[in-house]
Amino acid sequence: MANNPMQQFTVHKIGPEINIAGVDLSFTNASLFMVISASLIILLLFFGSKEKKIIPSKIQLIAELFYTFVAKMISDTAGSKAKPYFPFIFSLFMFVLFCNMVGMLPYSFTVTSHIIVTLIMALFIFIAVTVIGFIKHGFKYLSIFVPSGVPAVLLPLITIIEIISYLSRPVSLSVRLFANMMAGHTMLKVFGGFVVSLGILGGWLPLSFSVALTGLEILVAFLQAYVFAILTCIYLNDALNLHH
Amino acid sequence: MKSFLSLSIAFAAINTNLYSAEAGMPQLDPKYWASQAFWLVLVFIILYISISKFYLPKIKSNLDNRENKIKEDLENANKFKEQSELKIKEYKLILDKTKKEVNKILFDSKNALDKDIQNKKEVIEKEIEKEILKAQKEISELKKNSVSSIQNISENITSNIIENVSGDKLNESSIKAAVEEISKKNLSKYL
Repeated sequence: MANNPMQQFTVHKIGPEINIAGVDLSFTNASLFMVISASLIILLLFFGSKEKKIIPSKIQLIAELFYTFVAKMISDTAGSKAKPYFPFIFSLFMFVLFCNMVGMLPYSFTVTSHIIVTLIMALFIFIAVTVIGFIKHGFKYLSIFVPSGVPAVLLPLITIIEIISYLSRPVSLSVRLFANMMAGHTMLKVFGGFVVSLGILGGWLPLSFSVALTGLEILVAFLQAYVFAILTCIYLNDALNLHH
Repeated sequence: MKSFLSLSIAFAAINTNLYSAEAGMPQLDPKYWASQAFWLVLVFIILYISISKFYLPKIKSNLDNRENKIKEDLENANKFKEQSELKIKEYKLILDKTKKEVNKILFDSKNALDKDIQNKKEVIEKEIEKEILKAQKEISELKKNSVSSIQNISENITSNIIENVSGDKLNESSIKAAVEEISKKNLSKYL
């Protein structure tokens, strides 16, 4: 392992090169960890839903806890109208959470620390929410940019601000997750490098920092998955129930 | 401690500077963007389909089953509770009724006993009165008889005394008259 803290984020090809219509779609370490995370989710849900016990086993309890957690999050933020989107938000939350958590393992790769990954998810959510909004409300959906109860003088300004904030949603959503994951992992790597370079005499201080940061990063990994999912719920709520 | 820390940071910074030139931010290298996007979409679609088609319905039915079971059990428990409360009410009613009956029986038997005792008492009192009357009659008869017999005895004694003292025999009627006179005077002291 090199001392460069950014090197952990490099993507490299695994196996043969796959080239479709001049585009390089090779299987990479990023793809591998996406597959690993998805497999872990499916394993958890498979064993969590295999036995139908009245008193759940431990793994069943975990799966059901995730289910009720996400279900409660959706019903709290977006109401009962958002029920058809529950599987999507559940998948999204689980995928981001597991990618973040798998990324916490040493020598692993953090899928969500890449802006392209988070941006694609955020853009999909943004486009889907906008489409849902227009399907449900037609052109009345544009009233989301015109808040009620604002003085007429301020209205043009507020509308412009609302449009900008709406359009910046995918950027903020994706950059928040990507930057959090990247910064955390970089910091862990830097402190890890301190431990090595300061050796057995001076390395204890950065090591203790490293331990504390690992705990913090696990918290951040969960929190960012939660934030990502709950913001999706909030955007969906805007599209389903026009409150403005 | 502070200088030590800053020294170590500077040292590490120099160290990392040696290597940082080769990479920068790998995230901004577009070489594998298409690949990442492709695999992300593929993996996520598979994940989404398997979750929404297989696992979520299973977990949901599981949770629903449990909720229904709990609801059913609670309903049953409530039913049993109501039943037991009814039974308790019935039991209390029966208990009250029997208590009343017992009181009545007690009251009745007490009354009957009292009456019986009263009757017997009256009968006995009557008998006692009768006996007392009889005894009084006998006593008064005895008194009368005793007066006449006392007179006879005193007449005999008087005639005997007179005979012995004077040797004469007085006629009985005069003695009788004298004794009667004296006994009338003195007998009232004793009777």
